[in-house]
Amino acid sequence: MKLLKSTILLLLLSLCFQVNAQVKEYTLENVPNVRLQNKMRYVSNPGGILSQEACDSIDSMLWKLEQKTSIEVAVVVLPSIGNNDCFQFTHDLLNKWGVGKKGKDNGLMILLVEDQRHIQFETGYGLEGDLPDAICKRIQTRKMNPFFRNNNWDGGMVSGIQSICARLDGSMTNDEADKDEEGGNIMFLFFAAAGFVMLVGFIGGIASWRATRCPNCKKHMLQRTDSRLLSLRHGVKREEVVYTCRNCGHKVVRETESSDDNYRGGGRGGLGGGIFMGGLGGGLGSGGGGFSGGSFGGGMSGGGGAGSSF
Amino acid sequence: MKKSVIITIALIVLLALLGSSSYNSMVDKQEGVTKAWSNVENQYQRRSDLIPNLVNTVKGYATHEKSTLEGVVAARSKATQITIDPDKLTPEKLQAYQKAQGDVTTALGKLLAITENYPDLKANQNFLELQAQLEGTENRIAVERGRFNELAKEYNAFIRKLPRNIVAGMFGFEKKPYFEAEAGAEKAPKVEF
Repeated sequence: MKLLKSTILLLLLSLCFQVNAQVKEYTLENVPNVRLQNKMRYVSNPGGILSQEACDSIDSMLWKLEQKTSIEVAVVVLPSIGNNDCFQFTHDLLNKWGVGKKGKDNGLMILLVEDQRHIQFETGYGLEGDLPDAICKRIQTRKMNPFFRNNNWDGGMVSGIQSICARLDGSMTNDEADKDEEGGNIMFLFFAAAGFVMLVGFIGGIASWRATRCPNCKKHMLQRTDSRLLSLRHGVKREEVVYTCRNCGHKVVRETESSDDNYRGGGRGGLGGGIFMGGLGGGLGSGGGGFSGGSFGGGMSGGGGAGSSF
Repeated sequence: MKKSVIITIALIVLLALLGSSSYNSMVDKQEGVTKAWSNVENQYQRRSDLIPNLVNTVKGYATHEKSTLEGVVAARSKATQITIDPDKLTPEKLQAYQKAQGDVTTALGKLLAITENYPDLKANQNFLELQAQLEGTENRIAVERGRFNELAKEYNAFIRKLPRNIVAGMFGFEKKPYFEAEAGAEKAPKVEF
């Protein structure tokens, strides 16, 4: 009995160690997209394969590149992707994240998979001319693989990024600044405002319908037949209104308040409009300020680029 | 009496509107498939354009591999002779096109396999870059074929569903074929000595 217990314990312990020793396999879903938190970060390094200094150096180079040319580069360094093909993974991930500006498709994704010892570049449609397949291969074989063969991930990646930036510098200009941002925000606010107004109108319509319900016979047959003024003060009209049901003849008396059209002065009407304008101003303000995180531009790729094993 | 006439007219107008919106969607989707087809053709053409350069580079080093080199050139010219009108894409035509391109793939595979025996060639910068371009083009072909299949699938499902298939039948919208996985694609070409 004791032997059985200790055997089971040993098995469980070895299982724990198995799990720890296993390398995490990344899928398209669980690769972290660091740009979402911070637009100035380009390196997804969940396994810690690259050092922080290398990541910072790469981030600053790629930020400068994006500012100058609007080209978006995503660097992904993973310990393993299981049995998945590196080209397919890079292609799917680039299109999933939408690396590159929409329309321009000027995105580049760099994937380094440690266990397959493979580096893959994928260029968006718009970069194929400036970074053709042969050049991708050249950069990999001359500037990166010599480092990677010695497991010098930092050296290889930084060297590669330097070559890429040197190559792409001046290839295109950045005309993204305030192109769509303001326009997009205003459009959104317009539709939101229109939607709000329609919603209010709709709710108002429902309220009016419900008010025509006769409490006696339960049918929506109430009609306003008579009214009597109770008071008129400060632009507020109070009336006693009599409603008669067309079906059963039941009478309902209600007191209502309404604003007097002839009254000039501030008050209730102004309040709703004020809140509305406040919201509009706030929205426009935030559009101009910019966010600290964000997604990629929505660019696409058709399979260009190159890969090499080292 | 008059009311029923109005209702009938209204129904007919409604059906016509629905029918025309279906028709327009079908046209859009069909155009999408046509565009995807021309993308596929573009990538195959790109590969075809790389081949003369490749053959010339290899010729300089692998002087005794005449038959392999000639095989590639022959397969390429056969493939360029097959042209397809995207509006008349039948399964047979697509299969013929795919087979011709498949033969080019096989011939290229043989050629690249023999280059393994020529270390000078393998070190040649021009050859390395041609190889990179070929690999890139093969990847692009795979991507565009995948996109074509996707769009063709959407279009086929769209025109076959009731009640749209009535409109499709009336105006002659036909199913588009797919790129099938090539028989024997899993087997790498063997080099016989």
